[in-house]
Amino acid sequence: MNATVTAPLPAPKTKPKRRYSPTFTLLVICYAILILFPVFWMWLLAFKPETVMFARPTVWLFEPTLDHFRYLIDNGFHHYLINSIIVSGLSTLLVIVLGTPAAYAFARYKMKGRDDLFLFVLATRMAPPVCLVIPFYLIYSKLGMLDTYAGLVIVYLTFNLSFYVWVLSSFCRDLPLELEEAAMTDGYSRLGAFLKVLLPLLRPGITATAVLCFIFAWNEFMYAFLLGGQNVKTLPVAIPSLITTQGVRWGEMAIIGMVGTIPVMIVVFVLQRHIVRGLTMGAVKG
Amino acid sequence: MTATDTPPAGAASASPPRLAHHRESRWYPYALIAPTMITLTVVALIPFLYMGYISLHEARYGQLRDFIWFQNFATLLADPRFWNSMWVALVFVCIAVPIEFMLGLIGALLLSQKIRFRNVLIPLLFIPSMMAPIIVGLVWKTMLAGSWGFVSYNILENFGILKETSIFASPDLALYGIIFVDIWEWTPFMMLTFFAGMQALPVNPYWAAAVDGANPVQIFFKLTLPMLAPLLFVIGLLRLIDAFKVYDTIFILTNGGPGTATESPSVLGYKYTFDFWNIGQSSALAVVIWLIFFIFCNIFYQVAKKRLNVF
Repeated sequence: MNATVTAPLPAPKTKPKRRYSPTFTLLVICYAILILFPVFWMWLLAFKPETVMFARPTVWLFEPTLDHFRYLIDNGFHHYLINSIIVSGLSTLLVIVLGTPAAYAFARYKMKGRDDLFLFVLATRMAPPVCLVIPFYLIYSKLGMLDTYAGLVIVYLTFNLSFYVWVLSSFCRDLPLELEEAAMTDGYSRLGAFLKVLLPLLRPGITATAVLCFIFAWNEFMYAFLLGGQNVKTLPVAIPSLITTQGVRWGEMAIIGMVGTIPVMIVVFVLQRHIVRGLTMGAVKG
Repeated sequence: MTATDTPPAGAASASPPRLAHHRESRWYPYALIAPTMITLTVVALIPFLYMGYISLHEARYGQLRDFIWFQNFATLLADPRFWNSMWVALVFVCIAVPIEFMLGLIGALLLSQKIRFRNVLIPLLFIPSMMAPIIVGLVWKTMLAGSWGFVSYNILENFGILKETSIFASPDLALYGIIFVDIWEWTPFMMLTFFAGMQALPVNPYWAAAVDGANPVQIFFKLTLPMLAPLLFVIGLLRLIDAFKVYDTIFILTNGGPGTATESPSVLGYKYTFDFWNIGQSSALAVVIWLIFFIFCNIFYQVAKKRLNVF
């Protein structure tokens, strides 16, 4: 444990009852509305008929249309949704299996070369995708792995595995050391103590980190755009494909934007406390 | 405690409850990290080394030709587009990140007040930072679309700016448009991480300050800011690294245009590879970008480790 970041807050002794400040509350609510209005506006476009979409002045009341949805279904865009789920899901599962033991080991053991290895893990995460996409493109084209599920699942490991190891490590460090020793005193082997005692305690951390990995894979664009193709087009890649020679299909794009945002919103509400920790690579304990 | 659930039969004699235990299994931690290290070596290190190898070759259209030492790097450093992209990245990072930082700090202070509905508001504020960057770009493409976009028509045109055209079509303003979108996307992230950091600060100094009759401004500058400093540094650096590699939003909003006004290093790397098919050149660029990153990354790690005690 450390002193600077997670000093345990003692129970508030000074203020037994909370009084809310209406001014500040209003200010934050206004900020939230301002921040979220563009998202709301995009959702409106998803239901706006073509005739009023570009109207000046802006039309607020209109009869919602499902034409844009129909266009997407007719053109097989639901496959992209399924592709997104498959690729993100598989890569997340793989990350959990590979990364959990490593996260635990990095948190627990002061083995030789640990810092350098841990830095290496971080460095793979920090490298911009544009650095890795060229060699991957060449290697995949040689191996015939362009436009395959396996190709994308593997390439997503480059950012998610290192992320998972880093963040889960910070969860592992929160577990008291004595727990493991107590388990081993009770006769568990080291592996047994890990599997039977620590893993159940780590489950919330694993879930939170894995869900963030899922979201990163879900949101990923560059690799999917360049290494995917007709077969494994994911949802984000569908967006630029709607900029057609006949014009930009705004309504359809808005729907994809909406569908793509829904899982993110669910995650944000369910995991709000862990997201801070995740997005800061474990540096802040949310 | 869960540890007492079901100890395997007869195991009590097998493992003595001593710390000597840790010495006998010197290879155990390496066995645990092996799957991750091997995977990262295969999916990151080898491609990276391969990229370094390509960067020393004349390579076009996916074909490796002559070994030409560092000529790709020389061409790269002589290419005004490279320096333009570095300049774009510099302007982008130097404007966007400090603004996000300041707004984030102010927002975090605001959030630390006695806010009602905080549990609902916090996740709502997170949405821009968690959305796919490409969708963020799309959202602002519709907001700022020339003539009919919500902001361009209802706000900007009333002030007589950018009539009938999008900010992203203007060579002078496009970069600032992208900076604005980045600020929209990442200020909430800064705000919420700073807020989380503030919540975790020890309370005793605050009580002492209250006893001494310090005013809020003094408390902020003398207590909160110094205690939060390492965290602010780490978050700032993390954002800096991310801002430097921005790609998705630029791709959908301007794709580097108009001209090269918003051509960030990532966009330029893409163009070298897939527009000019000069992969030797783009690999050289990628090596340069990666070197810059490695330096940032190292600073991040050292500071996080020493000052935050979290790694």
